[in-house]
Amino acid sequence: METGIRVLLLTVTLAALSGCATVSNWFHHRQEARDEQAQAREDAKRADQSLDDDTTPRVVDPTVERRKITVPKIRSANVELGLDYGAMSIEDFDTNPSYGATLAYHVTEDFFLQAEYGRSKGGKTSFETLGGNIQLLTPAERHFTYYDLSFGYNFLPGEAFIGRGYALSSAFYLLGGIGSVDFAGDQKFTVNFGAGYRVLPSDWLAVHITVQDRVYQSDLLGTTKLTNNIEMRIGTTVFF
Amino acid sequence: MRSLPFVSLLVFLALCCTPAVSSARERLQVFVTEPYLELHTGAGRGYPVFNVVARDASVQVLFRRTDWFKVRTERGVEGWASQRDMLKTVLADGTPFTFDLGDRAGFTSHRFEAGAFLGVWGGANFVSMYTSYSFNSQLALELSAGNYLGKFTNGVTGDIGLAHVVWPEWRISPFFTIGTGIEHIEPKATLVQPSDRVEQTAYVGAGVRCYLTRRFFVRAEFKSHYIFTNLNQNERADEWKLGFAFFF
Repeated sequence: METGIRVLLLTVTLAALSGCATVSNWFHHRQEARDEQAQAREDAKRADQSLDDDTTPRVVDPTVERRKITVPKIRSANVELGLDYGAMSIEDFDTNPSYGATLAYHVTEDFFLQAEYGRSKGGKTSFETLGGNIQLLTPAERHFTYYDLSFGYNFLPGEAFIGRGYALSSAFYLLGGIGSVDFAGDQKFTVNFGAGYRVLPSDWLAVHITVQDRVYQSDLLGTTKLTNNIEMRIGTTVFF
Repeated sequence: MRSLPFVSLLVFLALCCTPAVSSARERLQVFVTEPYLELHTGAGRGYPVFNVVARDASVQVLFRRTDWFKVRTERGVEGWASQRDMLKTVLADGTPFTFDLGDRAGFTSHRFEAGAFLGVWGGANFVSMYTSYSFNSQLALELSAGNYLGKFTNGVTGDIGLAHVVWPEWRISPFFTIGTGIEHIEPKATLVQPSDRVEQTAYVGAGVRCYLTRRFFVRAEFKSHYIFTNLNQNERADEWKLGFAFFF
């Protein structure tokens, strides 16, 4: 343990020293901007002086004022946030309504990263239905809460046409990722994969239909097995 | 808890009422210097070109999505121009229109990054994500959150710390991290149910980031966590993880 702490302290010192070495550069972006402004001011002053010093009479007096361009910040609309509603088939526990929220960041026109959070509720197993009053899980344990971190690929981008006048951007996408599910009093590691279709009625609004399977290892019913929990959902998202 | 979906719905509706593209804002005007600027129907290379803007004509830049710019011509036609074509336009004073590109130079020097990882935390499966803000190309402030799922214990971790990239210009560049955090530990026991606890942690770590393409890079990382407990001995947990990240 002693050695561990010594190694920790040494590493800390090493990292801190190298980190501190860059302190002078911390705000170099700002410094660069300041230098550029100072340079521009100096140039302008020099230009004025050269005009004043010019004693020879001019044929044409250049009265054109230099235009000052302020570059407004260009807004990025890569983040997509929305809600969805659908049906979740929990293996052995019936199909029930599900609802959730998604947050995605579009990195390129092809790829995006998506985080999802949602809930559903497990129904009765066939054993419980046939067995009368037997309850495998308490009502609280039947809540099926999940989150995923997924990678998305816009597999088939295209356009959807409504009559002759409207064309909406659309994409068929694939999803794959990891996450976790909290069900039956235990939290399990999940792997998810799925596909979806996104159509954009406007630049900032999208409608999704997604089918996603969350796979995890369950030992709830005596034997350890991989369970598939397929969800189909429809949702709307806004880009900002 | 019942009101949570309702509140979320309200937030969502509020968001819907503030569209991403507001009309009352100052827009950047750029001028075409090439023979023409192609406008596509969508933000992607496969979308057809439906309009062109002639040389010396201007377009207003409405907003940007990934590597595409939504622009409006002087005649009011709106379309998507690619980043590659927009690089050849100029501002009203003749200076080239510049913007951040998702390329190798961006990998060396950028403001934000984010990513998701899969890994192992003290023998348990570990899912985590992080985001960071770079003060310069070498030093960054990092925030990360993780969830480990083990046979006997589950837990949630949250870290804040500094990352120092030693040679940011290298395609495969090592970095060191140091910081502190908290850990929410949820032991799993069938007979006696021990209570959940929250502990403070400190970590040192190292890793490698490797530039892939565009804005993507792979990040492999190791962190050694010291968990400060009320017991006689502090605990230690090693975190190994590998994931995809991107900068923006």
